[in-house]
Amino acid sequence: MTHFSRRGVLVAGSALVLGIGAKGLIGFETAQAADSSLLDANAWVRIDSDGAITIIFPITEMGQGSSTALPLIVAEELDAEWDDVVVEQLHRDDRTYGNPIFGKVLYTAGSTGVYGYFDTLRLAGAQARALLLAIAAKHWGVPVDSLTTEPSQVVHAASGQRLTYGEIAGLPADGIDLPEADKTALKHRDQYRLIGKEIPRLDIPAKTRGEETYAFDVRVPGMLYASVLRSPVEGETPVSVDESAALAIPGVRQTVTLPDGIAVVAERAEAAIAGKLALVVEWTTAAPAHSFDSDRSLADYAEAAEDLSRDGATWREEGDGPGTIAKADRALKATYRSDYAYHAQIEPMAAVASVDADGKGAEVWAATQTQSWTMRTITQVLQTKPERIRLHMLTMGGSFGRRTALTQEYLRDALLASKAVAAPVKVLWSREEDLKFGWFRPTAAQHMRAGLSKEGKLEGWHHRVASPSVIAYFNPLRWSQVDPHDIIAMRGSENKFYQLPDMRAEHIITERGARLAPWRGIGASYTSFAAEAFMDELAEAAESDPIAFRLQLLQHNPRGRRLLERVREMSNWGRPEQGRALGVAFAGYGDSMAAGVVEISLDGESGVIRAHRLWAAIDAGLVVAPDNARAQIEGGIVFGVSSALKERITIKKGEVEQNNFYDYEIVRANEVPEIVIDLESIDASPTGIGEVGTPMVAPAIANAFFALTGQRLRHMPFTPERVTGALAS
Amino acid sequence: MTQLTVNGKTIEVEAEPETSLLLVLREHLGLTGTKFGCGATMCGACTVHVDGFATFSCVTPIEMVEGAEVTTIEGLSAEGDHPLQKAWVAEQVPQCGYCQSGQIMRAAALLAENPKPTREEIVETMSTNLCRCGTYGRIVKAVQRAAEEA
Repeated sequence: MTHFSRRGVLVAGSALVLGIGAKGLIGFETAQAADSSLLDANAWVRIDSDGAITIIFPITEMGQGSSTALPLIVAEELDAEWDDVVVEQLHRDDRTYGNPIFGKVLYTAGSTGVYGYFDTLRLAGAQARALLLAIAAKHWGVPVDSLTTEPSQVVHAASGQRLTYGEIAGLPADGIDLPEADKTALKHRDQYRLIGKEIPRLDIPAKTRGEETYAFDVRVPGMLYASVLRSPVEGETPVSVDESAALAIPGVRQTVTLPDGIAVVAERAEAAIAGKLALVVEWTTAAPAHSFDSDRSLADYAEAAEDLSRDGATWREEGDGPGTIAKADRALKATYRSDYAYHAQIEPMAAVASVDADGKGAEVWAATQTQSWTMRTITQVLQTKPERIRLHMLTMGGSFGRRTALTQEYLRDALLASKAVAAPVKVLWSREEDLKFGWFRPTAAQHMRAGLSKEGKLEGWHHRVASPSVIAYFNPLRWSQVDPHDIIAMRGSENKFYQLPDMRAEHIITERGARLAPWRGIGASYTSFAAEAFMDELAEAAESDPIAFRLQLLQHNPRGRRLLERVREMSNWGRPEQGRALGVAFAGYGDSMAAGVVEISLDGESGVIRAHRLWAAIDAGLVVAPDNARAQIEGGIVFGVSSALKERITIKKGEVEQNNFYDYEIVRANEVPEIVIDLESIDASPTGIGEVGTPMVAPAIANAFFALTGQRLRHMPFTPERVTGALAS
Repeated sequence: MTQLTVNGKTIEVEAEPETSLLLVLREHLGLTGTKFGCGATMCGACTVHVDGFATFSCVTPIEMVEGAEVTTIEGLSAEGDHPLQKAWVAEQVPQCGYCQSGQIMRAAALLAENPKPTREEIVETMSTNLCRCGTYGRIVKAVQRAAEEA
């Protein structure tokens, strides 16, 4: 990959380095060497005398496009020529670069890349530019304020003199104080020439040639392969192991016992896989997870959600939701269910580790959503210090929340296997392993209650989510800080875009019945289903148009109102084509809002719902990379369609019943709607685009189904069996 | 020893004859542009051409392709400038990119057989391959663009 370089190549150069501390810049350096020079302007920017401008990419890439969008923000304020920019992946857990939203943890999740780094990166770019101006001013002996910049050049208009940024990097900078950068120095949005423009993604050409390197692709000299037979049920251990057949396979070196499985290590991948299949293992059957049963879990959760005597952890409370409902003219209630869902990223788990001879250091190739927890996994497994670890963070073949955990078992296994065999080891998961040992979106039951006045006005809102805590499982360290507030389980139920003066959203934390992790849209992928499908039920009870009913609740929120008005117009609302129906939902993710109208039809015989068109209007504040933002919203919508119509993990006796894409189906090209997106860049802070498309889709489809058939779908996914069941009721 | 012809070069491979073409391409020959996704013909990430036909390399034993011409994403064009690769850039198709080699190889086989496919033909053919990032709409547009510009 040519657009990424690795840090630490200042061999024959010189550098000007700026360090940014908690309060801003703390210093910069120049370094001189034989034949070139570098201005290491700050922690984020390094300028080479040949003109190359290296910008650090602090998070990781899983397809969301941040590896272009974040450097673009720096380049804008630096006034860099975009073609001069080289993006450098951050390969270590250096909290200098951490996301302010996550307390400086390096964590790529929650649509927070642009949202969390926007100010930091603009200031870094502006400061590096100010430093270039100061060096040029000294060189020419003119006041700094007589200088301006053009892309990658400093200009002294009075004399007509110019210096390129590369030329400035080669000038002496001694005696120059590092300039302060504050928000007043930042460009006005009218001056942007990169932000908000159609700049192609840097990673795309390599991805059309098969040249991108994923963890699955890593090959290092002397590397062995490990295939892991994992305990079929969480927590079970081997009673007996017969490895004789495995060891008899040519190329198989040995087995390695792991915390939850047995690795077969071999010289070739095919031998490792064959060796794993040849292992004969008897497992214990006493682990608590043996009783995991998805149907029973969901039934228990529904009972808990509906049992009003059972108090939950308050997620959001305004006024008195339950009391207002009790006093209302009419009270409505409904229970919504959603099943476990699998990430289904096309690249299964993989990692390569080469542990040093003393077992206390390692070179590691991994691709995760967090350098911080990856480094933590490594240092915990090897009981060592970060300085001993050489980490290569690679791009992910999709992730959608899968690679976020505090402890990364695929990487742990590579480390332990490498340590045991004293050679580099690549751990590769099959699709079946990736699915059966997946960490899922939890199954959830949600009990919705609301009151209506005689005039059909909403009076009181009560959203009870019964699900296990996701954070308690995937990041117990974080749970110890936030318990009982689980944003992963609850997001969306705060319902903050509507005016709901009397509302309560609460989390009835139930027993865990599977491995759990964040999943695109997190809680909003199911809480918005319940909230917005229920909103439609209220509109019906109030004899109100579903859009008009929602607009009443948005009188204080003109930006939200505009979105609903836009999709009403775009979709020709109220005039569906023959045999089709329209459904609306208004949801979003975090601070980003989305309105969507979907057009569906139904094959009544098979029970298959077909989504034909989907119109979406999105407000995510300022849009940094518009085409990529649209691509993310399209992808988020496709993810939502797939989840709403097809995706379902079931668990019996502690084992996942599905195997591969033939029984865990995700949507294909012939099953997705035509998507029309209205995305206006707003003069406000950017608020994230990676997940905003997903939450509205399921309720919009459920609401369209009601418009078409008069029946409600309250259990996601809306499989053909559930559809025919609803039609028969 | 099995003799394979990959991207125009004839290579001796030391692997059992029933070894999958995908594993041999990736782990023996280092041609990692072709991806493993499911091992079960369900996702198409492993799609290569065998004598011009789009083929799931994950379930193709190397003994079956001895004497055949195997083409991978690395051999689709000399400079990475096949009309489809250019169209993929123009339409900004890839997100994570992991499935895209397989998508492009599937589309290339379609255009070789049917240079001016209808939208429906494109959608049906491309439905063999999965993309979890949800780039389907852009894939269809890129195939249409390549067909128009070729």
